[in-house]
Amino acid sequence: MNEYFDGFSFVDRIASIEEGVRIRGSYHIPSTIDSFPPMLVAEAIGQLAAWAAMNVVNFERRPVGGIVGSIDFLAPVRPGRTLELSAELQSVDAEAVVYDGTAHVDGIPVIRIQHCLGPMVPAGDFDDPNMLRNRFAILSGAGVAPGAFGGLPPLSFERIDGETGQRARAAFRVPASAAFFAAHFPRRPVFPGTLLLHINLELGALFAAEIPTPQNGFEWTVRTALDVKLREFIPPGETVELQVHLKKRLTDSAILAAENRVAKRVVGSGQLRLVPEARS
Amino acid sequence: MSETSITKEELDAVYPKVAETMADALGCEVRRVKLDASLIDDLGMESIDFLDVVFRLERGFKVKIPRGKIVEEARGDLSESEFEQRGVVSDAGLERLRSFLSEVPPERFKTPVKAADVPRLFTVETFCKIVIRQQRIAAATSGSPIA
Repeated sequence: MNEYFDGFSFVDRIASIEEGVRIRGSYHIPSTIDSFPPMLVAEAIGQLAAWAAMNVVNFERRPVGGIVGSIDFLAPVRPGRTLELSAELQSVDAEAVVYDGTAHVDGIPVIRIQHCLGPMVPAGDFDDPNMLRNRFAILSGAGVAPGAFGGLPPLSFERIDGETGQRARAAFRVPASAAFFAAHFPRRPVFPGTLLLHINLELGALFAAEIPTPQNGFEWTVRTALDVKLREFIPPGETVELQVHLKKRLTDSAILAAENRVAKRVVGSGQLRLVPEARS
Repeated sequence: MSETSITKEELDAVYPKVAETMADALGCEVRRVKLDASLIDDLGMESIDFLDVVFRLERGFKVKIPRGKIVEEARGDLSESEFEQRGVVSDAGLERLRSFLSEVPPERFKTPVKAADVPRLFTVETFCKIVIRQQRIAAATSGSPIA
């Protein structure tokens, strides 16, 4: 049964749960993978909150990616470390779950998510509800053995055009097949919203290098993702147009606005807050 | 407590913040969020935007808005079968809707009205009124005057 979840599951164990209020758990990042992007840490927090939300509605509905008020990237995370995850649920019902969450490593916060809203959809359209119930029971007990995740496949985009330091446009082709589609989701594979945000962060970081910094020896670093909104499910093989532009630049921060389109329809949007940091 | 008892002063008190909240959620200019603007036809709101707006209004006004029950509230005391038949709003349902959505110009009620299209009638003022009703409920529950 574990293979069902192996490709994209980032909770090994649920340590405690107060129904509909809060949940705590953990995930050990396999030391065998090359990297574990920050957005997968955010995904782990979201998955933990999803278990809490699904439990409230007896796994008849499940949350999907929707809206995130802010994601603070506080510290990098390396393979081989254990994430201590927590989520505080503000509300959960058949329509949506609203929560805040954090991930710590060795007691130090690495990612903080605030004002996150996941629309609840019929679980059976995406997953086998019984499999979800069984998995929840295992996670709430002894947990699962860590190490199943084999890393992400290459996810790259191609710059199309732009204006140096002002705007950039790129094309991203969602893989037609990938291990994570088996878990996300078994009955309806869709590209994870957190990976779409990961791609936007990559483009944002590349674009940020084109923006003049307030002082020599500094570089812009993405510190926060803001007002993220996912509007549509993106199927395997789809091509997504990524756009980013400099919205505001101050001495101590800059804001990039990002928009993603499929066939001219906006499928996702958000902002990235950059701060200047001394080059390492 | 009926919607007709909502005063202009109450509307004026909440509208600027509701407009700002909607503009933030939709990423549009606040001047586009006119009181009589249709949320779907004029502002292009989709289901995720409705969730977003409700979520932000709850935070901004510190009230609880029952998600997914706005249409139910519009139905009032009518049962589902009294309100609609085979997906079309009944005459009794229309009468109730015209009263509940008194801010919506009559010409927007193009009959027959499909039950699924009821949210298409909602305007910015509709959400101002929802906030005001929830503020009243919160004040009545806490026993304190409306802030």
